[in-house]
Amino acid sequence: MDVARYLFAFLIFPGFVFTGVVGLLSTWVDRKVTARVQWRVGPPLLQPIYDFVKLLGKETLIPSTASRAVFMAAPVAGLAAVTLVSTILWLANLTGLSFVGDLIVVVYLLVVPSLAIMIGGMASGNPLASTGASREMKLILSYELPFLICLATVILKNGFSLRLAELAEPGRVAPIASISGSVAAVITLLCVQAKLGFTPFDVAEAETEIMSGPYIEYSGVSLGVFKLTQAMMLFALPVFLITVFLGGIHLSGWGILWAILKYVAILVLIIVIKNTNPRVRIDQAVSFFWVYLAPMAVGAFVLAVLGRVLGIPWL
Amino acid sequence: MMNPNILLVPVLLPMAVGLVTFLLPRKDRWVRGILALLTAAVAFAAAVWIFVGKGGEFRFPLFEIGRFALAFDLQPTPLSSFILLFAVGFALLAALYSLVYMAGRNRYREYYALFLFALGGTAGVLLADHLLVFLIFWEVVTASLYFLITTGGVESKAGATKTFAVLGGADGCLLLGIGILWFMTRSFSISTLKVPVVSALPALAFILMMVGAITKAGSMPFHSWIPAASEGAPASVMALLPASLDKLLGIYLLTLLATRIFVLGAGLGLLLMIIGTVTIVAAVMVAMVQHDLPRLLAYHAVSQVGYMLLGIGTLNPVGIAGGVFHMLNNSIYKNCLFLCAGAVEKKTGTTDLAALGGLARIMPLTFAGSLVSALAISGVPPFNGFVSKWLVYQGVLETGRATSFIFLVAAMFGSALTLASFIKVIYSVFLGTKSEASAKVKKEVGFAMALPIVVLALLSLAFGIAYRFPLARFIYPGIGVQAAPAGVWDSTWATGLIVLGLAVGLLLYVLGRYRRSARVVAPFTGGEELEARTGRVIGTHFYDTIRELPLLKGIYAGQEKGRLDPFTWIGGLGLGITGFLRRIHNGLLSWYLSWSVAGIVILLVLFIFLKD
Repeated sequence: MDVARYLFAFLIFPGFVFTGVVGLLSTWVDRKVTARVQWRVGPPLLQPIYDFVKLLGKETLIPSTASRAVFMAAPVAGLAAVTLVSTILWLANLTGLSFVGDLIVVVYLLVVPSLAIMIGGMASGNPLASTGASREMKLILSYELPFLICLATVILKNGFSLRLAELAEPGRVAPIASISGSVAAVITLLCVQAKLGFTPFDVAEAETEIMSGPYIEYSGVSLGVFKLTQAMMLFALPVFLITVFLGGIHLSGWGILWAILKYVAILVLIIVIKNTNPRVRIDQAVSFFWVYLAPMAVGAFVLAVLGRVLGIPWL
Repeated sequence: MMNPNILLVPVLLPMAVGLVTFLLPRKDRWVRGILALLTAAVAFAAAVWIFVGKGGEFRFPLFEIGRFALAFDLQPTPLSSFILLFAVGFALLAALYSLVYMAGRNRYREYYALFLFALGGTAGVLLADHLLVFLIFWEVVTASLYFLITTGGVESKAGATKTFAVLGGADGCLLLGIGILWFMTRSFSISTLKVPVVSALPALAFILMMVGAITKAGSMPFHSWIPAASEGAPASVMALLPASLDKLLGIYLLTLLATRIFVLGAGLGLLLMIIGTVTIVAAVMVAMVQHDLPRLLAYHAVSQVGYMLLGIGTLNPVGIAGGVFHMLNNSIYKNCLFLCAGAVEKKTGTTDLAALGGLARIMPLTFAGSLVSALAISGVPPFNGFVSKWLVYQGVLETGRATSFIFLVAAMFGSALTLASFIKVIYSVFLGTKSEASAKVKKEVGFAMALPIVVLALLSLAFGIAYRFPLARFIYPGIGVQAAPAGVWDSTWATGLIVLGLAVGLLLYVLGRYRRSARVVAPFTGGEELEARTGRVIGTHFYDTIRELPLLKGIYAGQEKGRLDPFTWIGGLGLGITGFLRRIHNGLLSWYLSWSVAGIVILLVLFIFLKD
């Protein structure tokens, strides 16, 4: 019956349907908070779902310069990857179903949606999309360095374990409850901001400058799939943060409230950062992550090593 | 007396046929190609036979002086027989590819002969059980590589010379190491040697032999021959030798050294890990900013060796399995990438990234092969590169030191940089808008060139999804691990779910109006005119932002001038010495006389004081 269980987990809960719906609702939170910050009323709760359904019914336009198969296949690859990430994360949290090194698998899979956007944009043959895609790649390079160092900090604090389920085990002291862990968490949050392509790191899309970059030629269903992927990322990435830094999600008793609280807190934090910062240039983003955040992350790592050597858990 | 033995087939048959092809009349191009193909096929059949354990062993003593015994001993081991299987398999594919690729090129006579010599030499290295026989075949491969590179024409001369100089120097180190080993043990037998590294002498022997191994594999700091060779060598040569056979041989020797011949302490393992990590990051940073496709691939061929060294340097079963598996995987996808580069070159006549673009629609097979291999080399799941890198990471963490995190982060970051580099390649060559050179291309390469690309790409995918098979059948027996080490990710269901996810996405397409209404329109550029030349975004400028970063700018500038290459340093030293000697040879008799007298005096002094 394993097959049926996996299928259910992947397709319904916590996979595609669940992640998709919660993700789309999260984009509602995003839009609502953004609207309130800008003194607007904002959309109704179901607006993101209406938008998605509407895109499904729209005509698909394919640019004459495009490599058609790649152009159309790219969004689907991103969707598959984010669904798998979400499934792995939730299964590790809820059932403890986990395999050695799933953390690495998740880190690699989290790059795939960005990869899909880049390849898709490049395949369109539009010069603005190419510009956007090259920026996206540089952005990945820049945030990946501090991101990996922060993960190393967590792995070290966790006793060299690469299992997500162990990180999220109930009763374990979360990495955030230490100085190094909290510094790493803040840095990772900023990396997540960049992973989501949110301001101030929306250089790849930059609507006012290169007209959404890689997305420029997408329309109809393919755009809808991309939007859905982004929405699911908006759900999966905070869950990743919670799993790795905040002690995971446990849906029993007060755990449910805690889980929602953690998620909403991270979500709102991301949205507030998004709404209160201007867009940086790509070279500024690169030096922000490499020159400022990476050394800070190294500092956090050194603290964690010290804490381990000296036996001080809060360091 | 010599008993006929199947072990001799992959070694001697290619060499014999190689000699014959030299003698064939110049005109018959197809005869040579088909002869090479048939030879490789027969050798492949023999390799399969040897792999399933029907080889036995072959011993033929040549002569013996005291305890110095030279014997033509061949003995397959689980490690060498699986490597042989793949080496000959790659040669078979390369021979097929060459049939068309070499058509229209000069010097195919030498090409096929040397191709076969290299194949026979490789088989000899892998099967040899005597260190000197090993070394002789090792040299055969080096020499064949030198001549094979020169078949690329005038611009390949410099690269070939550099290759021969670097590899020759490293082979000298290997010889010295073997000498020290003999001095210590009085034995050349690979299967019986077991030297614990407890003092300086065995450590020196190990390091010397290691230099030979990692230079063949192309690790830093002795890497510079690969990019140099890539400049003029035919793509099939690059695909077969530096990308595949040399990797297999170098890492084979390193694995032998680390697991059989020597018993290493953690210190030398750490040295390997450090070399590996530096190689990964430094080479890929250089690769990222290259403008020429083979040269870019060559730097990746360097970078990937780092993962193998990192894995083997951990000295634990998971790490070594990862390193050896990465060797195998790398030779599959890197081979494929070079073959794709050759296909692009054949069709467009250029390998300059700035002059290519938009080939995906006209060359779908080459594009698919490149994309799969690019994702595999970047370690994107579920391709084979991911599995082996993942094993390497696991091995690194298992060493249980805080320093292992430095290796872990650097190696994982290296794979992000690799991805970046290949995004640039995929864009510049296959996506984006068409350039003048790619607008000329009318159709995909023919069957003989496309088939090897497709086979290798499928192999990359298969070894990623069903990685348990190669691990259980080739890698674990090869390194003598009984059971599967703990911690292999369950990619079977993960891959199944990815496929399912793709199906869900496609379902959305079907649900949506895609099938009914997809309209082709002009790309939207905000009302600007899209001109053929100015409208192209050239992929080679992608990472200029990174190149211009304060600290990196200086390093890149130094690297381009060759300041970070030991070849330049040693070359400078050599030039200095020859310059000095040249000044001595000034043609004046009195000078020559005084040098001779000085020499005699020195010799006399030596004889007097060193007579004991």
